[in-house]
Amino acid sequence: MHSTFYKYDSVRSAKARLGARLTKSLRLVLLLVAAVLITLGVLAITSHLTLGWFIVTLAALPVMIYEWYHGELEHPPVTTNSIDGLLDGDILGRLSANPTPKELAAAAASVNGGRFFAVRFGITANFLNDITTDKPEDTEAIWQHALEVRSQTSSEHISGAVLAVAMLQSFPDYESLLAHMHLELDDLLAGVRWYEHLRLLVNKTKEPRRTGGIARDFSFGYIPLLKHFGINLSDQVGGGITVEIVSHVKAVDQLIDTFGSGGRQNAALVGEAGAGKSTIVRAFAEKLLDAKAKIPSNLKFRQVFLLDSASLIAAAPGRGELEGLIMQVLGEAYSAKNIIICLDNAQLFFEEGVGSVDLTNVLLPILEAGNLRVILTMDEQRLLQIGQRNPSLVNALNRINVAPANREETIAVMQDQLIFTEYQRKVTYMYQSLAEAYRLSERYVHDLAMPGRALKLLENAASYGENGLITGNSIQQTIEQTMDIKVGVASGEDEREKLLNLEDLIHKRMINQTRAVQVVSDALRRARAGVRNENRPIGTFLFLGPTGVGKTELSKALADVYFGGEDRMIRLDLNEYVRDEDVARLIADGADDPTSLTAQAMKQPFSVVLLDEIEKAHPKVLTTLLQLLDEGILRDI
Amino acid sequence: MNMLLVTELLRWWYTAGWRGRAKRIANQLDATIDYFSMDLLAKTLFAPFRQISAGKVDGPLEVKLRAMLDKLFSRVIGAVIRTILLVVGVVAIAFQVLIGGLILLGWGLVPLLPVVGLILTVKGPAL
Repeated sequence: MHSTFYKYDSVRSAKARLGARLTKSLRLVLLLVAAVLITLGVLAITSHLTLGWFIVTLAALPVMIYEWYHGELEHPPVTTNSIDGLLDGDILGRLSANPTPKELAAAAASVNGGRFFAVRFGITANFLNDITTDKPEDTEAIWQHALEVRSQTSSEHISGAVLAVAMLQSFPDYESLLAHMHLELDDLLAGVRWYEHLRLLVNKTKEPRRTGGIARDFSFGYIPLLKHFGINLSDQVGGGITVEIVSHVKAVDQLIDTFGSGGRQNAALVGEAGAGKSTIVRAFAEKLLDAKAKIPSNLKFRQVFLLDSASLIAAAPGRGELEGLIMQVLGEAYSAKNIIICLDNAQLFFEEGVGSVDLTNVLLPILEAGNLRVILTMDEQRLLQIGQRNPSLVNALNRINVAPANREETIAVMQDQLIFTEYQRKVTYMYQSLAEAYRLSERYVHDLAMPGRALKLLENAASYGENGLITGNSIQQTIEQTMDIKVGVASGEDEREKLLNLEDLIHKRMINQTRAVQVVSDALRRARAGVRNENRPIGTFLFLGPTGVGKTELSKALADVYFGGEDRMIRLDLNEYVRDEDVARLIADGADDPTSLTAQAMKQPFSVVLLDEIEKAHPKVLTTLLQLLDEGILRDI
Repeated sequence: MNMLLVTELLRWWYTAGWRGRAKRIANQLDATIDYFSMDLLAKTLFAPFRQISAGKVDGPLEVKLRAMLDKLFSRVIGAVIRTILLVVGVVAIAFQVLIGGLILLGWGLVPLLPVVGLILTVKGPAL
């Protein structure tokens, strides 16, 4: 049971205060004093002064304090279940005997956990100062919340991050405050877990890696050809930062099981692009090179080579040459005894096309024999297509499914991966940007699966930050700029004016129809004020009336005034869809039929869709459109 | 520093501090063992070097005999190279163990140094 008792005079508190006083410059002074004492002592001894012995040995004291700082004072270990036993040393060392909430706020904001919350959530020192009181009796409630947050997030200490959340929770109307920042309490708890995770990750990178040493490959063969036509993934690992989401860990374990046992030595990672197949292969390669990893000895220090199909095809242009070259490369890999071949986007090796070549005749016997270790990564749809042509190929493979990540996993992947993007692009991502990247990428990015699609959006957003800070707004801007869709709440002065005067602007083009113009304008204003249902179209309107009253003109005017031009209108004359087989034409695959509704909507998502002469359409066409009008979803075929 | 902190410094020095130092020395030793691939060298002492002439050969007896001799030669070369590296590794590790032992011993004496210095100042000879 934890207690909210805070003891200023405890041993840990005293150590923390000493640790806080030993600043970097003071620690440098300690070393300098030691060096000066030793120098003076030696000079004295060589000058026949026996006092020199004492002076030299006195250097032990500053050295001992220096060692103590790094061994204990810098991070005093958790001792008891009281507050002073659990508080992060950095904070504990800054507190007085009877701390006020404002004092806690200042202490929390000045340490790493507090700074993390300032950058990632916008909960800055000033913010914390504003929501806290200077009454010492209010501190008890903060301690109570801090203990709860620590327990909920399994944090080792009461860190600056834990304390920041506890202070927020102690504020009477904290939920309104959070809502204003587009946050919920669960987001803050996720933030504390993120901070703890990063702290552990940093500690992990400090641990030395054991990768076998200089004689690791003495028992394995030379691979000059493979080095030329492949990429050694094992050479690229070693950063120590691999995302461990449940589905990926499971897939890596399955790879180890497959290659560690005596069956067919091949595995096919099957999943949508962006689901993390390549990441799994890299995590697998990293694990094989880790001397401390618990894996079968026949897999230890094996290396994963990615075959480069483009350079292979380029090196063997003649008929039959490529097959010969592949056989040589694979033969070399087999003889070397420590190589696992990876065929990334394996369909490139099983079908004829631009940049791909059908090597089924060469690869199938190898895969069926199962002696050479091979990993294939492939899209499920392509595997089905290849399997249709060559069922024995699919039967020869040990299939491992890679499912797209869920929201929690995607956020975890983004939290780890953005470290690299932040370093490379010199930007900082706020937590809100991650949540927004997930939400918007799920809705608007369709060519990749999670977590790849959210990561792609997050990376693109690096160019749209304000002073290097990527907020939820930056993510919305990215979608707006790159896909030309308005997703945020209207914020620009121009747009606001336009929305307020939408009726007048439309009426410049057409007269009368006041009611219709007002209803359409209201729907747009609601949508841009952010109070629309995200899972439905902005508005669906049925304009009824005789020819010439302005039904089509209103659609054109709307496209022109608000959507940026008359060409921002997708017009379908439904008198061309009078037969039941016309449904197929309406929802044809965009890649095959550029005139289909789905193709046009994908090319120009921010537009008005005008379904003209709808009464003439075949009932089946109307049924298909019903789903579009109701939920805003239409899938191509 | 008050007496409480001095006592705490000494307590830490002779418990967690000493253990921590021993752990660091053990880690360095572990790194050296890994660097010289000691366990791998011992396990594969007689394995053919870099898989040279290691494959199976079919054919007339003469060819098989020649392949066997080649393989034997590869194993001998491998064993020689590995033994040299093993010896170098063992020497490096022994040296490190010696230095590590001295550091650990010295660690225990550090707090006593000012007292020793004082005794030498009072009684000891100057150089």
